[in-house]
Amino acid sequence: MRPVRQPTSSLRVSVTINGKLTEATVDSRLLLADFLRDQLDLTGTHLGCEHGVCGACTVLVNGDPVRSCIMLAAQVDGMDILTVEGISDDAGLNRLQEAFKNRHGLQCGFCTPGFLMTLSGVEPSDYPDEESIRELLSGNICRCTGYVGIVDAVKEAWGRI
Amino acid sequence: MTVLRPSLIGAIVPRLEDDRLLAGQAAYVADIKMPGMVEAAIVRSPVAHGIVEEIEVDEALAVEGVIGVFTADDLTEVSPFPDFHPEEFVNPVKLLPLGGGRVRFVGTPLAVVVAGNRYQAEDGRDAVMPDVDPLPVVTSVEEALAPDAALLYPEWADNRLTVYAPQSDAVDEAFAAHQVVSGRYGFQRHGGVPMETRGVLAEFRDGRLTVWSSTQFPHIARTLLSYTLGLSEDAIRVMVPDIGGGFGVKAQFYPEEVLIPWVAMRLGRPVRWIEDRREHMVSSVHARETYVDLEAAVDSRGRFLALRGMVYQDAGSGEAIPAGFAPAHVTAGGLTGPYKIPLAAVGVTSVVTNKTPSGAYRGFGAPEAAFAMERLMDKAANKLGLDRLEVRRRNLLERSDLPYTNAVGSEYDSGSHRLAFERLVEMAEASVARWRKEYEGVPTVRVGTAATNYVEGGTPTYFGTTGHWASQDAASVRMNPDGSVVVLVGVQAMGQGLVSMLTTLTAESLGVPATDVRVVMGDTDRTPYSLGAWGSRSTNVASGALEKAVEEILGKGLLIAAHLLEASPDDLEIQDGGFGVKGSPDSRVSWKEVATTANILVMNLPDEVDPGLEATAFYDPPGLDHVPDADGKMNACAAYTNASQAAVVKVDITTGHVELLDYLIVHDCGTLINPLIVEGQIAGGIAQGIGGAILEEFHYDEYGNPQSTSFLDYHLPSAAEVPPIHIEHIETPSLLLPWGAKGVGEAGIVGPAPAIAAAVEDALAEFDIEEITRTPISPPLVLRLIQRAGRADSVGA
Repeated sequence: MRPVRQPTSSLRVSVTINGKLTEATVDSRLLLADFLRDQLDLTGTHLGCEHGVCGACTVLVNGDPVRSCIMLAAQVDGMDILTVEGISDDAGLNRLQEAFKNRHGLQCGFCTPGFLMTLSGVEPSDYPDEESIRELLSGNICRCTGYVGIVDAVKEAWGRI
Repeated sequence: MTVLRPSLIGAIVPRLEDDRLLAGQAAYVADIKMPGMVEAAIVRSPVAHGIVEEIEVDEALAVEGVIGVFTADDLTEVSPFPDFHPEEFVNPVKLLPLGGGRVRFVGTPLAVVVAGNRYQAEDGRDAVMPDVDPLPVVTSVEEALAPDAALLYPEWADNRLTVYAPQSDAVDEAFAAHQVVSGRYGFQRHGGVPMETRGVLAEFRDGRLTVWSSTQFPHIARTLLSYTLGLSEDAIRVMVPDIGGGFGVKAQFYPEEVLIPWVAMRLGRPVRWIEDRREHMVSSVHARETYVDLEAAVDSRGRFLALRGMVYQDAGSGEAIPAGFAPAHVTAGGLTGPYKIPLAAVGVTSVVTNKTPSGAYRGFGAPEAAFAMERLMDKAANKLGLDRLEVRRRNLLERSDLPYTNAVGSEYDSGSHRLAFERLVEMAEASVARWRKEYEGVPTVRVGTAATNYVEGGTPTYFGTTGHWASQDAASVRMNPDGSVVVLVGVQAMGQGLVSMLTTLTAESLGVPATDVRVVMGDTDRTPYSLGAWGSRSTNVASGALEKAVEEILGKGLLIAAHLLEASPDDLEIQDGGFGVKGSPDSRVSWKEVATTANILVMNLPDEVDPGLEATAFYDPPGLDHVPDADGKMNACAAYTNASQAAVVKVDITTGHVELLDYLIVHDCGTLINPLIVEGQIAGGIAQGIGGAILEEFHYDEYGNPQSTSFLDYHLPSAAEVPPIHIEHIETPSLLLPWGAKGVGEAGIVGPAPAIAAAVEDALAEFDIEEITRTPISPPLVLRLIQRAGRADSVGA
């Protein structure tokens, strides 16, 4: 049996963020999103609703899309995290980002990192047609684009147009 | 002068803004940190209407990390927000940043708690105990107008914020002589709800106040800060970082935009407040809660001869700057839309209720007008036994009718009202035929479509921001010695692609590469005075000013180039990247040489030319009236975009669920500068219009308690609810505005509600349901209509 931890007001976490091992002391109640944004200055992860609905704060935790506004920093000890700052190629934008640009899949850009991270964490073959792509995207809210450019961008990035 | 190279206008070009947004490198207010910065949380009224008895702060001051707690008692030096409108027309609200006496809605700011970080500030906020003695509430127009209604402002005679009741003998005569069709058509309370909430960061240093705010009008914010805080405008700098969507919600000036700077001055250190989503849902402006009592005098052929009626608006508490009643006037003035209706007398009654203040939202009254007008037109068709499309054909403006001045004074210089409609009808009929086939034989499903029309006035003159009718704007253009160009404008980007638009137009007119142009905005210290970004105006007003400034630089550049080439200015032409002698390909001089001469090698300037290569120009769009005439008529917009929209809907007759299968629009906003950006604006507006038509609503209970305070109970449309959107363009350029563009920011949002309502009726034609008179067109509403029609038990389910 694992020992039961006593409640503490802060604790140490060791976490790999965008490929880099990071050690930090975090308040027990610190949200993952605030840890990334305020403590590590990774402000590309945005907070749109802070209750897990809009998807703007999506990051990958061990490869899976997760709402960083409803996860604690303390929970990611030992895990691997990817944020929008970590997805660009060395040469610049990656294929998905380029497709968003080409297809006008963003306007104000606030929700965009969340969409990019959701899409970075899925297998394209699981979403074979437009309906399933729209279903996938329905966990992220965009208030600017009407989704036309976003759906087109996904199709371009996945080689469907 | 024309630049000799392929034009940049009309080219589909990805935006310059995008790379940093896609790489997570943008900086919104919440991303900015200052050394020594502390954070604020705001205590808000839990009561919709009441008198603040006491606000107990001692417990909060003892919370770890809390630095200070301030209430209205501390803000005695702050002046009320200016009530710009004359008191004989609009009752004053005398808004202060913190409620001290009476509170009028749940969410009224009562105190601010400042602490080392936001967690601590929120701990402190939770420890503040406001004691508010409740009063009876009013939560609807009917309650507010009842004879025994509780008064929100006891100093007013009643709960009317403003009333406008035009009378016209000509209108009354038309009604006396013809048959009348009438109805009441209403929109529910919803709003812009940008993904980024509001935020303010302020610093007071060396006698100057710097305020970073998520605002659509930085210079207006500066002026209002000056009014309220008593600082001179030169002591205030308003900076706007990236904005995560505005939609009009941020074209309002809010209590926090004074409160946070005041706290920063009081504490002598930077203070940041970031609105959370619940706060946003209760304290950022709502919109649209309006119904129109509308009647039309109609001849036997279905021609509309006159309109009469009243727009009733629930303005919430009224505590909005600019005042929230203005969209209701746009509704009243926008009813005739693209139709040849020679007479109209429609009034406005805007009342206050114990709900969040109502204010601006994309469309600004036009969607409410289109819904009422299009619904009434359908009703008239039914009553006269005419086809709905045919009634529209008999009333739509033809090209031969243009230019046309309508019943309220709007001047349409150009447009394609009939043409757009006919093309849309073709598209809609093809689409609905395909979808009917797809669902053929499915017993629970019905498919329908409908076509609707509207115009959207853009680049308006507006009273509310300054207290005077105004529509001007400005631009500065500066060429550096290396030939690079800086464009400084006060209009504000919030996602609409303004940097790309202005870069394109500068490059186009100067003949320089777009990569040599840098557009600067969001800084009142650097940019000329501007009214800001709203009213589908930014590209038009900024490019008008830009064109004048560029003319000056071109003229000076031409003289310098001619001198350097030892040629006559008449023999020169603008070539890509500089000037050349016509017909002599080797005789040319680059902008860099011209700019270096102007700025550094000034000894080489011709005698009559002063050093420097920069210009600032102000531009007031032509054709606008800034004062109503004796009949109350006024051309309030410089251009009128026209469009026709159709929804193709699928209705599940067992659940009442409405699904959008296809959405079609034929759109004419004049010249397309960048079609990619134009279509993004249209599609985004349509998606918001769909949200308003079927999903979004700010609910309140009978005590004025907000019931829609998160995205779990306020439903924004996702990619699953918004269908593919098919856009076709007609380009009928504006005859008045630079480049011929008419404005596109608000156009998409105007059409969805009437298009969807009529499409649902079309789908349910066999049931002969009552007309749909209000939004949202939700499953319970649709199901009730089917059941009332008495056929529910005889169909598939």
